[in-house]
Amino acid sequence: MTAAAVRASARPLRPPQTKRNVGALLVLVLVAWAVATVDVDVGRLADLPGSLVGIARRMFFPPDVDYLGRSLEGMVGSIQMAWIGTIIGALLSLPLGVFGAKNISSGVVSGVVRQVLNAIRAVPEVVLAVVVFVPIAGLGPLAGTLAIGVHSIGTLGKLTAEVVEGIDPGPVEAARAVGARPLQVQRWGILPQVSPEIVAFWLYRFEINIRAAAVLGVVGAGGIGGVLQNTLSYRRYDKAGMAILVVIVATILIDLVSGAIRRRIIEGASARRAAETEDPELAVVAATADRS
Amino acid sequence: MIRFSRASVTYPGGVHALRELDLEIGAGEMVVVVGLSGAGKSTLIRAINGLVPLTEGEVTVEGRSVTRATPRELREIRSRIGMIFQTFNLVKRTTVLNNVLMGRLHATPTWRALLSRYRPEDVEIAMQALERVGIVDKAYVRASNLSGGQQQRVGIARALAQEPRIILADEPVASLDPPTSHVVMRDLQRINRELGITTIVNLHFLDLARVYGERIVGLRGGRLVYDGTGAQADERVFREIYGRSLTADDVLEASPAA
Repeated sequence: MTAAAVRASARPLRPPQTKRNVGALLVLVLVAWAVATVDVDVGRLADLPGSLVGIARRMFFPPDVDYLGRSLEGMVGSIQMAWIGTIIGALLSLPLGVFGAKNISSGVVSGVVRQVLNAIRAVPEVVLAVVVFVPIAGLGPLAGTLAIGVHSIGTLGKLTAEVVEGIDPGPVEAARAVGARPLQVQRWGILPQVSPEIVAFWLYRFEINIRAAAVLGVVGAGGIGGVLQNTLSYRRYDKAGMAILVVIVATILIDLVSGAIRRRIIEGASARRAAETEDPELAVVAATADRS
Repeated sequence: MIRFSRASVTYPGGVHALRELDLEIGAGEMVVVVGLSGAGKSTLIRAINGLVPLTEGEVTVEGRSVTRATPRELREIRSRIGMIFQTFNLVKRTTVLNNVLMGRLHATPTWRALLSRYRPEDVEIAMQALERVGIVDKAYVRASNLSGGQQQRVGIARALAQEPRIILADEPVASLDPPTSHVVMRDLQRINRELGITTIVNLHFLDLARVYGERIVGLRGGRLVYDGTGAQADERVFREIYGRSLTADDVLEASPAA
C-alpha cells in the first residue's frame, strides 16, 4: 500500500461537540433557575404520601355505589360532548388541512392556513371555553362542545395537511389531466390516498377529547366534570370516588375499542401499500412492524 | 390540430426542456417521440394539455390556444385529451371502475363527483372503455391488486372514458416487461386506427418506435432533430437523435408476441 493511499484513509478528527455542550449547559441552567424560583413548600411534599392515602380512603373505601347512576349520566354527557366536538373538528379540518398542504395549494395560501391552524392549536380547550364560548353560549355542554370542536380543528388540520403532503403526486396529475375541477381533484385524486390515516387520527382525537370533556365539566360545561365539581365542593369524597371510577373505566374501555379500530385501519392500509409493491416479504414486514 | 410555434420551456432551475420548437401534428396521426432522458419528451407531451406551461411561444389544440387559456378553458381542452403515464398514476386504494370514472369527471357535476353518484350513462361509458382494453372483469377489484400490464390498461381505459380526440402517452411501457409492452402498444395502435384518435407516444426503445411510429419525431436537448416516417428512421438517424452510438440498452429485443 502506498503512502498516498494510507493518507487518503486517515481517521477523521472527532467533530466539535460545542453545540451539544452548550445545549446541555443551557438545560442545566434552566432547571436550576426553575427549582430556585418555583413557589413550592418542600415541607408539604413530605406529607404527600400520607394525605394521598387519606383521600383515597375517603373516596374508594367504599365509594358511594348509589351514586353510580348519576355518574354514568354525567359520563354519557361528557362522551357526547367529545363525540360532537370531534365531528365538528373532523369536518372542518378536512378542507383546511388540504388547503394547508404545500403540494396542493400555493405557498401563500398554505402558509396562511398553517398559521391559522397553529394559532387555534395554541389555545387550550379550557381557555377557549372560559374566554370565548361560555360568554357566547352560556354555561353548559354547548360551550364545552364548541371549545373541543375548535381546538380539534387546529390539531386535526395540521395532521391532515402533513398526510396530504406525503401523497403520491401521480393520481393528482392524472385527475388534472382529465380536466377535473379542483374539488373533484381533491375527492378522487387525494381523498382515497389519505382516508385511512385521517380516519385513524379522528378516532385518536376522540380519545383525547373525552379527557378534555371531563376537564371542561369542572369549569361549567356539565358532564362528568360537573358531577365531580359538585361532589368535591360539598366534600362528598365517596361520591367523587364513584365518579372518578366511572371516568377511569369508561376512558379505558373507549381507548381499547378505538385503539383496536385504529390499528385495523392503519394495518390494513400499510399491508395494502406493501401489497402494491408486489413483494410478499415486504407485506409481512409491514404488518408485523405495525403490530409492535 | 396540434401546433407548436416557437415553443420554449425553461424550468426554474434554468434547464431548457424545449427550445423554440415548431411542430404540427394532424388529426388521426400516430406519432412517436424519441430521445434520451432529459431530451424534452415529457415536457413536449405535457405542454399539449397544459400540465407544463410554456415560458415562450404558443401551443394550440384544435385551433384553441392552450397557452392563453383561462382555467375553465384549459379544463375544457384537457377533457378532450386523454393521458397515459409511465407509472400508470392510478388511485390504488380504490376500484378499477372508480379510476376509469375519473375520465368522466369533466362531464359530471361536482356534487355528483363528491358523493360518488355518477350518472348511469357515464358508468356505461366507463364499462365500455374497460371492455375495449379487455379487463372489464376487474371492474370492482382494487387497482392495487392488478399486475403492471393490467394497471396500464386501466390507465388507457381512463383515457378512453373521456371520449377524447387526442391521447398522450408518456413512456407508457417503460415500467412493463417486453411482451406486455407489445400488448399495450398494440392497444394504442388499435385505438388510433379504429377510433381515429390522434395518438402521441413517448418511447425510448428504438425497435418499438420503428414498429409503431408511423411518424417519428426526434428530440435532442429540447430541439427538434428529426421528423419523418418510421421506415426512414435507420440507425444513422437514431445515432443523430441520441448523439452517440447505439447500445443493447436502446432496444427492447423481444419480438412482438403473435
